[in-house]
Amino acid sequence: MAISSVDKHARQRSLEILREKFATIAKRILEGKKPVLIMPKRVLSNTIYDMKKKLLLLGPEMKRRSLLDVNEARKFMQTLLMASIIYEALVNDEYPTIRDLYYRGKHTISYRDISGKIHHENTWDEQRESDAVIRDIEVFLGVLREEMLILSKEKGKVVGNLIIRSGDDVIDLSKMGHGAYAIEPTPDLIEFKDIDAEFVLVVEKDAVFQQLHRYGFWKKYKAILITSAGQPDRATRRFVRRLSEELKLPIYILTDADPYGWYIYSVFKIGSITLSYESERLATPNAKFIGVSMTDIFGEEEAAKNINKLASIFGKEIKEVISKPRKKAYLSEKERRNYIIKAKKKDVERAVELIGYDVADKLIRNPEIKKYIRQKKLGVSGYPWFRTPEWIKEISIFFSKLAKLEIEAMASKGLKFLADTYIPTKIETGDWID
Amino acid sequence: MGVMSAVAPAERYRAISPAEFFYKYREIAGFSNPARALYQAVREFVENALDATDSHGILPNIKIIIEKADENREFYRVTVEDNGIGLPPHVVPEAFGRVLFSSKYILRQTRGMFGLGAKVAILYGQMTTGRPVEVITSQPNLRRIYYFKLRIDINKNEPIIIERGSWRKNRDWHGTIVSMTLEGDWSRAKQRIKDYILRTAVVTPYANIVFITPDGEIYYYERVIDKLPRPPKEVKPHPYGVDLELMKRIRDGGSFSTVKEMLMKSFQGIGKVTASSLLEIAGISPDLSPKSLSDRQLLELVNAMKNYKRFRAPTSEALSPLGEEVIKAGLKRIYEPEFVEAVTRKPSAYQGHPFIVEVGIAFGGKVPLSSDKYPTLLRYANKIPLLYDEGSDVSTAVIKEDISWDQYLVKLPAPIIVLVHICSTKIPFKGVGKESIADVKEIRNEIKLAIQEVARRLRLYLSKKLKEEEKKKRVVSLAKYVPEIVRALTIILGDGQGVKAELLEEKLVEIVSLRTGIPKDEVHKVVKSVEIGV
Ligand SMILES: Nc1ncnc2c1ncn2[C@@H]1O[C@H](COP(=O)(O)OP(=O)(O)OP(=O)(O)O)[C@@H](O)[C@H]1O
Ligand SMILES: [Mg+2]
Repeated sequence: MAISSVDKHARQRSLEILREKFATIAKRILEGKKPVLIMPKRVLSNTIYDMKKKLLLLGPEMKRRSLLDVNEARKFMQTLLMASIIYEALVNDEYPTIRDLYYRGKHTISYRDISGKIHHENTWDEQRESDAVIRDIEVFLGVLREEMLILSKEKGKVVGNLIIRSGDDVIDLSKMGHGAYAIEPTPDLIEFKDIDAEFVLVVEKDAVFQQLHRYGFWKKYKAILITSAGQPDRATRRFVRRLSEELKLPIYILTDADPYGWYIYSVFKIGSITLSYESERLATPNAKFIGVSMTDIFGEEEAAKNINKLASIFGKEIKEVISKPRKKAYLSEKERRNYIIKAKKKDVERAVELIGYDVADKLIRNPEIKKYIRQKKLGVSGYPWFRTPEWIKEISIFFSKLAKLEIEAMASKGLKFLADTYIPTKIETGDWID
Repeated sequence: MGVMSAVAPAERYRAISPAEFFYKYREIAGFSNPARALYQAVREFVENALDATDSHGILPNIKIIIEKADENREFYRVTVEDNGIGLPPHVVPEAFGRVLFSSKYILRQTRGMFGLGAKVAILYGQMTTGRPVEVITSQPNLRRIYYFKLRIDINKNEPIIIERGSWRKNRDWHGTIVSMTLEGDWSRAKQRIKDYILRTAVVTPYANIVFITPDGEIYYYERVIDKLPRPPKEVKPHPYGVDLELMKRIRDGGSFSTVKEMLMKSFQGIGKVTASSLLEIAGISPDLSPKSLSDRQLLELVNAMKNYKRFRAPTSEALSPLGEEVIKAGLKRIYEPEFVEAVTRKPSAYQGHPFIVEVGIAFGGKVPLSSDKYPTLLRYANKIPLLYDEGSDVSTAVIKEDISWDQYLVKLPAPIIVLVHICSTKIPFKGVGKESIADVKEIRNEIKLAIQEVARRLRLYLSKKLKEEEKKKRVVSLAKYVPEIVRALTIILGDGQGVKAELLEEKLVEIVSLRTGIPKDEVHKVVKSVEIGV
């Protein structure tokens, strides 16, 4: 059977790497050398945006986690503990979830200090801690957790004219009724059998996904409809990537018009900071941001108003992109008044992180927010992949209007409007950010 | 009291003032109530005993006995025995029976100085119990031991000998035993007396001290060092300390042919040249006979001396500091501290009086916890412990205001004692109680410098200790993970790889020990203590 052999192979390979890596540690110990785990640093400062590949990648910096360093000793122990649990699960043909691993490794270590007092310490307290250790093991071994057959909760869903094989079953994703197929934690074990679709629409919001599904959007427009239900998990990202890479389908991402939505899009497209070591496998460089964009809400004239201020930061070239308004807003003045939401301080902060303090400072007019941002985010330089003319235009409107909008608003204008006007028009006219 | 600055050749005895005064105003000398009197009597006899020994190069053996002397009344018999120089028999009646009779009216640092102590105690005993004092004494060169039973004739300020006797010495004994009975209050005085003896023991590690209480307790402080403080030498007065009265006494007492000779022979630091220029300033002819000088001329001379700028600092030969070794040995004997250091400062002077400040610091061991404001302070003046009025003492001001203890890594409250000893031919006591020392600028500064010097050494010690503790803590924070790591590695590398858990553990212990500098068995101890639960 194909899958179980894939599975078996993955197990075998992971076990070998585990043994080999830890044998070196044991050898060092037996030679009386300092026990250290050398692995790439998983931090923002060691995350590199590869302009050419348009991917967030792990940089070359390595960290040496030593047992003899008081600040690292606990982490060192946790790493070894986690490795041993994963090892046992692999040997026993199990499929633990990250939560299982958390429970299996959680116990107390009791010891006496110099004065003889007994202390108790948990190997780890929260799952956050053990999850981080799993990520460390992935970079240390250079093996992804999926390859070690570690599962996580399923989050992403998919429907559409797509037939897949998962395990021993063949599943037709167009026959899911009102439900949907949950994207499994090991999407690499899925086999694409047959497809009849022209594009993929990924929706941030589960609720909007359900509405479009019931409306029959994917049937009508020959789409594969996916939701990440918020921040996308690894499985959803990998699944989308495979659709793009293997089936050559265009990918459109639909999120709220707010900094969280923009970030979700960038995670799909170029990867995330915490999982930059996985970008090569998870990111979809072809993914396009289809909306909801600020210009859809306010029209392009609004961006043109900011042109001179922006030119003072980015130079004249920016004028090219922004100066000629091509389209009108999708919302009327009255609708805008009903649907838009005032941006919260947290939203503004987040936007500054994406685009940089200089832009925010130039564009925000509200003195209170301006002062607040100066206190909190002075000097923040923004992510290079957001400092492109298209995004500058988007986010400049956000700063001057201090407003955001949820996709649901577009649906409230009429599900029909969203499904039959907004999305198709945007795709047809190529009105997206790439 | 003019008597204090009287001058005389060595060991010359004379009476200077009547006695009724101290009978009436005995509280001035510390005999205000039965509790205080009992304490004061013990002090007077113990201090005389120590003066008779350590000031004369003898390692003291002192025995103090307080016993109940009457079934019904609160009478206590106080006996103090020493192995000192003793007294010549013909002096005994006056030394114990005439107020203001002393061998200590000279410029030399001793505990006693007034010629009062023994007598006021005896007067108090006589007045409250009617019983006489008994003295047994012998000097090193004498063949006999002398015995006296005395009482004081208060009106005449004269001893009345009730009984006397002597017998041949059949062993080489010298020293003095004084025994007297007074009305006291043991239960209220007991803490003070014990404190006093303990604090005395701190600065006399070269003495054997036995103390037997009316409750039948025996305190024994055994000699731990054979070194004595350097004995004080008698010196001539320094010209800065002179006044008209002293000048007159010198004029009347001496037999000098010229005033120049008088100056040269009566003061320290005055030679031919200085004498001539002083007399020139005072407008007195150097060849005049001292007896012919008028009081006005003497005053001119005193002023000339006071304003003369070029005298050498007063000599410190009259002083008898304890010395660093003695202070350290003393603190060790009582407190067994983990750290002890001491310093004896160079001699200094205020108003023509030489003084020396000494400081010792003991930390840890059996040192009791201090208050959270400042370290426990042990104050001494001329080797006498000062127990009362601590709040108004100059040393208290220094340790509270001039020293910031956290700068020396002392986190109060802490097991720390600071001992401050000031010795001088004239201690600037505050008031007649002789319990606290006045805030004299020069003295305060010396105390500060001395404490800082020793405290710096304490800081060094504490910082080392802190580092050592840090190191140990560090070892625990590493070693506690060893079993878990060994377990994980043996799971992964389990069979076939030839990795033995014991060997891995042993090696890890070795590595941790090597890298932290903590001995292997201590690392082992931590590792062995670890239990991995579920
Ligand atoms: N135990 C003793 N051994 C030798 N001489 C002693 C002893 N006790 C007292 N004397 C002599 O008796 C004198 C008088 O003692 P007393 O205690 O009355 O006065 P003081 O010690 O001179 O001065 P103070 O009043 O300050 O104590 C001393 O100066 C000393 O010469
Ligand atoms: Mg005396």
